Amino acid sequence: MNAPLPDFSLARPQSADEAVAQRLAAPAARYLAGGTDLVVNMRRGLVDADLLIDLSGIDELATLSANESGLTIGAGVTLAALAADPALKTYPAIVQAANAVAGPGHRAAATLGGNLCLDTRCLYYNQSEWWRRSNDYCLKYKGDVCHVAPTGDKCRAAFSGDLAPALLVHDAEIEIAGPDGRRRLPLTELYRDDGAAYLALTPEELLVAVHLPAGSRHSAYEKVRLRGAIDFPLAGVAVAVTDDDPTPRLKVAVTGTNSRPFLIEGLDDLDAGQLGEAELVLIDKAVQKQVSPVRTTMVAGHYRRLAAARLARRLAAGLASA
Amino acid sequence: MSKVMSKAGTRLPLIDGVEKVTGAAQFTADLPARDALVGRILRSPVAHGEIVRLGASKALALEGVRAVVTGADCAHTYGILPIAMNEYPLARDKVRYRGEPVAAVAAIDAATAERALALIELEIREFPAYFTADAALADDAALIHDDKPGNLERHVHDSFGDVAAGFAEADLVSEETFLCAEVTHAMMEPHAALADYDREHDRLTLHTVSQVPYYVHLMLARCLEMEASRIRVIKPFVGGGFGARTETLNFELIVALLARRANGKVMMTLSREETFLTHRGRPQTDVRLKLGMTRDGRLTAADCEVTQRGGAYAGYGIVTILYAGALLHGLYDIPATHYEGRRVYANLPPCGAMRGHGTVDMRHAFECLLDRMARELNLDPFAVRRRNLLTAPMRTLNDLMVNSYGLDECLERVEQASGWVKRKGKLPPGRGLGLACSHYVSGAAKAVHRTGEPHAVVTLKLDFDAGVTAITVALAVAEVLGIDVGRVRVVANDSAVTPKDNGAYSSRVTFMVGNAAIEAAKNLREILIEAAAGKLDAPAAEIDCIGETFRVDGGAQSELSFAEVTAAALVDTGTITTKGTFTCPPEAQGGKHRGGAVGSTMGFSYAAQVVEVSVDEDLGTIRVEKVWAAHDCGFAINPLAVEGQVQGSVWMGMGQALSEETRFADGLPVHASMLDYGVPTIAESPDIHVDIVESIDPLGPFGAKEAGEGALSGFPPAMVNAVADAIGLDVNVLPVTPDRLVEALTQKRRADKRQAAKAAKVAVS
Repeated sequence: MNAPLPDFSLARPQSADEAVAQRLAAPAARYLAGGTDLVVNMRRGLVDADLLIDLSGIDELATLSANESGLTIGAGVTLAALAADPALKTYPAIVQAANAVAGPGHRAAATLGGNLCLDTRCLYYNQSEWWRRSNDYCLKYKGDVCHVAPTGDKCRAAFSGDLAPALLVHDAEIEIAGPDGRRRLPLTELYRDDGAAYLALTPEELLVAVHLPAGSRHSAYEKVRLRGAIDFPLAGVAVAVTDDDPTPRLKVAVTGTNSRPFLIEGLDDLDAGQLGEAELVLIDKAVQKQVSPVRTTMVAGHYRRLAAARLARRLAAGLASA
Repeated sequence: MSKVMSKAGTRLPLIDGVEKVTGAAQFTADLPARDALVGRILRSPVAHGEIVRLGASKALALEGVRAVVTGADCAHTYGILPIAMNEYPLARDKVRYRGEPVAAVAAIDAATAERALALIELEIREFPAYFTADAALADDAALIHDDKPGNLERHVHDSFGDVAAGFAEADLVSEETFLCAEVTHAMMEPHAALADYDREHDRLTLHTVSQVPYYVHLMLARCLEMEASRIRVIKPFVGGGFGARTETLNFELIVALLARRANGKVMMTLSREETFLTHRGRPQTDVRLKLGMTRDGRLTAADCEVTQRGGAYAGYGIVTILYAGALLHGLYDIPATHYEGRRVYANLPPCGAMRGHGTVDMRHAFECLLDRMARELNLDPFAVRRRNLLTAPMRTLNDLMVNSYGLDECLERVEQASGWVKRKGKLPPGRGLGLACSHYVSGAAKAVHRTGEPHAVVTLKLDFDAGVTAITVALAVAEVLGIDVGRVRVVANDSAVTPKDNGAYSSRVTFMVGNAAIEAAKNLREILIEAAAGKLDAPAAEIDCIGETFRVDGGAQSELSFAEVTAAALVDTGTITTKGTFTCPPEAQGGKHRGGAVGSTMGFSYAAQVVEVSVDEDLGTIRVEKVWAAHDCGFAINPLAVEGQVQGSVWMGMGQALSEETRFADGLPVHASMLDYGVPTIAESPDIHVDIVESIDPLGPFGAKEAGEGALSGFPPAMVNAVADAIGLDVNVLPVTPDRLVEALTQKRRADKRQAAKAAKVAVS
């Protein structure tokens, strides 16, 4: 249970294509960005990788650029750099989300891509090999049963990245490099509602960049957690007000409650400029209905549902009055 | 010109602080261990069961494996209390918690050791396991220890004064139950030990993280059947303990067993998870408390029932459950008390001593209920506490000695500093102030091992270099000798060099070791004055040493430096050693009733604190805005160190109040990492204003008492009282996590609604 890091080889590709080629040739390889999650999981015996493909030498991934169509942020940009970049000033939720991740030491190493692809979490999964073996493992890794929902056939581990909801409310798109070249898709399509297979990517596909449309949007991100730093979100909510004319719309996205981050549905008809108590109740109810937190954390799911709803309501009210 | 001297009462950085913050300090895991084998422990996957088979031959046959040990290799129990040693270093026959060590290997590297662990064949026949006190106490529960019927380790009944009369006299009697989660020390340094055995000379040297190397020494001798004289225990820098390391811990014995079997050196560094599993923290505690109070706030009686879920083995359990009852006394004047304490076994890692040992959860209940009763009687929280102060010197109902008492001044200081009178009740919505008091012993006056030896011994060595080698409390030595503290070299870590000491726990060091150090320094001073008198040709009575300079009273014409006097003193005798001892007198050792020694001490520290919070009712989050703590430590030998200790205590109490708790899933720890165990971060750490109160204890070293524990138990109730002030909600569970706060609010709103409906009904009819 005091396991040393397993043996592995390290590759340092210079381009995304080279990285994809290396990954194709080595089925048991993993991409390594900041390592703040992957290396911890390796020490716990959660990763069977004989090759780590270190992405830090790929210039494209480390680049953040702006043009008239918006921002392109390399997946390897660190969260600290992202939070500090003046180009992000018009995307406040993203800055707030980046600053809400773990602690300063983590943010200096952790990357945007790493946070978007962050492995889902569960108290039955993020444990040592001894612990999981003593508990007959679990559906997500090496086992047959989901201890959170033993009668179900799906892993319920929670997606816990902070950046995804903030990017979702800013209509982010992502760029993927794969064996057949590049493809671009809305961020929402990156995720699947299955804790054991939460990314809609083939193993060799690599998240290269995030594209944000130009334009200014009022937005905010907030998370609840036990402590003011370090902790993953028990529930995290991003809210943005679009600049649709004449009726600004509201976008709400959540993380930490389900196996994927997602946009709350059913808010399209709301006029974000006219949010009264009835509208806030509607938002509250929509969130409560659509999130499904379960016993993946020590804090009860019921609380996480309420907290997500209250955060959404509060952030929406705050933006509406701003 | 004489140098500026380090006097007792001077603010000085800790003497080992620089090494610790620069990383120069060598902790056990940093020790050079190039030729050491790697030790690893196989732990039980099962919470309760019988070991049917344990096969180690395949592991032993693996290349690179040098030793495998199992329960068969040690037939001796170990433990802290001579009357309650029921734990084996490696389980024999039965396992009683998930994570209990069952076997261990020493191999040439960690990977080999891991492979060897996987080759050990372990078969366990499972028994029903109990993870709560109630489940373990159930009539049909299987026994965790055959000699403990009902899984009850100890049932304490204590009554003092006429309790029934006390309640009859009260104008208000209130009763509430408080549930306090189990917490653990979470010290920064994970456990580690390095054992070196030499078969040729049958000698064992152990470097370990212990707070009490002496106890480890005793248990090594017992479990390895070695003569104590063949054992040497060395304590390198220790990265915190908070009580976790006062008992001998299983890995310290296991690594020694491995080293002996391998006839060599074995390094064992435990993972963070294993460090959490080794535990010995504060048990989950239920407190039912009933208090009686007169209309003007005078306490008339207390009736307290405490149930502690102690885990799988005895450890300090009996002391912990006795402490909770004993320390009902010594803080306030209560004419009558009744205490029922139950220490219960459960299939979880064993609990033990933790900062504020035994008193914290009981004090939490007491200070919360006291505040609520004050509110009901329309009394100010300060007033109700002032109404019940003690007058020192006195003896408590349970025969504890109180010689100095600074609680009144502590109250005064925090009332002023917090602006209580002006601000209480006038803060914006969601913001509140809360008060609580607390106290703690300056070391147990009766030692765990009753050997007849002094409670503390300090030796000083003065040699050709004119450097004084002391074992601890450098400032006290410097003060008595009139020398710079830099001249005092502290060696406190090696059984081959330093005198036996009962260790750094129970806040005993300042009082006991401090007094012994003063005596040793006085003895050395006498020798030096004598030598100076000879050189200066003056009567010894007229010689003084100030600022490392010896001179005849009043005369400045002839003076000698410290080095000159040292040289003179060494003529003919060579190296000088002096000794000082300290023994707690019998009258300090508590009452004659069963368990009456627990709680006894030479002096109680006292503390009061005000906590200011803001509460977010929507999310259930509490922000601690500021803390004002006043602590009566008798006399602050080093005020900077006292402030640090008080802040540390307050902060640790904050962890227990806000976010720290152990949690288990069928006996598997789900808190066993620094991510999942909620030690507060700097983000929620408030400004902590410390006021030092000096009541000058007549028996303390320069009047000093303890400073490192007393303020802890005040924080949780002060915070809960502040939450009540902020949002009108009384919370009866610790920690007050956001989910618990929201749940309590929901329940209160429901109850209020019912109440209102009832009132409306009554009004209509």
